[in-house]
Amino acid sequence: MSAPATRVPPADGASAHDHPQGANPEKQFHHDAAVKSADLVHREIIRKNMESYDAGHMKGRARFMDWDAARDRCQAIKREAINHLDKYLLQFEENVTARGGHVFWAATSQEARNYIRDLAVRHAVKTVVKSKSMVTEEIELAAALEKVGCTVWETDLGEYIVQLRHEPPYHIVTPAMHLNRTQIAELFRDKFGEPDLPEDPQKLVAAARRKLRQAFFAAEMGISGANFLVADVGAVAISTNEGNGRLTTSLPRIHVAVTGIEKVIPRLEDLATLWPVLATSGTGQPVTTYGTLVGGPKRPGEADGPEEFHVVLVDNGRSSLLGHPEEREVLHCIRCGACLNICPVYRHIGGHAYGTTYPGPIGAVLTPHLRGSAFEHLSYASSLCGACTSVCPVKIDLHHHLLHNRRDFMKAGHGKVGERIRFRLWRVAMLSPKLYALGGWLGRKSLRAIYGLGLSGSLLDPLRAWNRKRATVPVAKESFREQWRKGLGNSK
Amino acid sequence: MATANNPSRDLILKRIRAGLQMPVTARWEEVPERPFFAPIENPLERFQQECKANLMELTLTDNAAESARQLASILNTLPPGEIFMQDHAGLRALVEDAGVSREIRWSSQGGPREVAQATVSLAEALVAHTGSVFVSAACGGRGASVVAPCHIVFANTNQLLPDLKTALSNATRNGVLKNNSFACMISGSSRTADIEKILVQGAHGPIRLAVILERR
Repeated sequence: MSAPATRVPPADGASAHDHPQGANPEKQFHHDAAVKSADLVHREIIRKNMESYDAGHMKGRARFMDWDAARDRCQAIKREAINHLDKYLLQFEENVTARGGHVFWAATSQEARNYIRDLAVRHAVKTVVKSKSMVTEEIELAAALEKVGCTVWETDLGEYIVQLRHEPPYHIVTPAMHLNRTQIAELFRDKFGEPDLPEDPQKLVAAARRKLRQAFFAAEMGISGANFLVADVGAVAISTNEGNGRLTTSLPRIHVAVTGIEKVIPRLEDLATLWPVLATSGTGQPVTTYGTLVGGPKRPGEADGPEEFHVVLVDNGRSSLLGHPEEREVLHCIRCGACLNICPVYRHIGGHAYGTTYPGPIGAVLTPHLRGSAFEHLSYASSLCGACTSVCPVKIDLHHHLLHNRRDFMKAGHGKVGERIRFRLWRVAMLSPKLYALGGWLGRKSLRAIYGLGLSGSLLDPLRAWNRKRATVPVAKESFREQWRKGLGNSK
Repeated sequence: MATANNPSRDLILKRIRAGLQMPVTARWEEVPERPFFAPIENPLERFQQECKANLMELTLTDNAAESARQLASILNTLPPGEIFMQDHAGLRALVEDAGVSREIRWSSQGGPREVAQATVSLAEALVAHTGSVFVSAACGGRGASVVAPCHIVFANTNQLLPDLKTALSNATRNGVLKNNSFACMISGSSRTADIEKILVQGAHGPIRLAVILERR
């Protein structure tokens, strides 16, 4: 059995998602965003994928008599869970341990990694199969296991594809969304040594199935994430379409579920709302093919199943969000990816440009809290159009949280001096109509002069950031105020 | 009770409790719960529609003999080889009536092997609204619904429930997860759309999910 390619091993303290030269995430972000937004092949792949998603999502929503009522219910469930997080986590733990499972509370990524690594070493694990879990990406688990000699197989097809390409996932639901069948066929031909493999999705899936089934049956440890932790029955709920989550949690003799503390929900019955809403928001399906519930190791009399069951509850900065007066609700996120799919910024720059585990609007809100001020620039990676908020199935006020992050960032003194000066001048002008009019007049005159000299996009152009790569922004002949006086306001 | 050495457990709980003490300024309006799915008028008809949409194979039968013939008919379409069956008196009778001559591995002998061509199991319940089959570890174990290329479910119309809410409420009341280490709501065969959003069945698990539904 040939081993899968490992992902790029992170340097100590860095994330696998950081770019090799990622000493300055902000500069790297601007660079990568500019490159990707000009990549027309990438744009075309994403456009096709997103159009397909949009159609499926709207069709899925039409199955609901009242989609907004379903979102309200999801919001209420998650709010109840997060506002009583200690109670429900303890209830979950009590139920899991009563059935012979183990619950480990990890304050940091390192604690989580070490616990699972030590478990693998203790049981002489050689082969690990993983189903999709963004938290395992966040804590850089695969690299830690490889360091102790384990071969780690990503088994979600999209995850497997990006693993073979030494890349992190591009999207939290569809990790290989940025690739077309031609690129995937080339990859498989090269990695599998099957030069005649056609560009047929059916054949490509079958080839991956053959490889991964060997891994499933050889693995001693299966690692999954969790979409929800169900407190009243003490079960981990995992949603998958491919069945890789099923095999990961059924065949190996050890199952480890790694998840954030915010995934807990009060009752099993809550899944009757959350499952359809998650599926509709994630892929447009009425419900995900496999809604799996695992509550412990194999019980006496059961035909199969792991002998050991471990749940690793990862905090890693999440508990600090609970005390945030405005952003506690960010912990309601169910990681459906809907905000990524609708975001005009994500649709242009793609998932990898963010340089983080969680891209898109939710990542831009969350990452500065999890990874510090080096990622504050992501709060500006938004047009604040509010599309993300409009689709969020748990009604997180995402675009306002981006504004909260920006405000907190400036208050903490992290803003650039030039930016501060510009905003102060703008404030003064906004408080004085005459000064504002004078500023507008000067601006129009100077821009016309610069454009007239052919210096649009040059260092002398105050709109350089825009004009250097795009058609020059036209300058109005008259101010808005003048146009208004001449009857603009009366025009129909 | 199994435990893990948890040096950070108290620290995390302390942080959570401290965080929850902080006043929250976000505007939270309590919205009264209201229905968001239309009621299911005819569960059987709806189940049939949803199974079709989920690309499942559903056959309605009127009696045990017809069910046995249907099982034999499905097994005849499969390549030669072992099948795995939940060890249950009803299924043993069904196999006998169907005259199955293949090698059978029963769940009492362990989980299904990689070579299994099909798995046959019962279900805890069926859900009309989503065309789902609800199974637990009692239905032949975990692998019984995912290891082989074809999963055959034998159920009856008395097991048909209108929606997920009813099915999950029943599961809580009946202690399904208290008595089993595993349960799963299955709504179709294994599938993926990870390549250009094109649907392909049989990503890792069954390519076929067939339900033999006997009228009661």
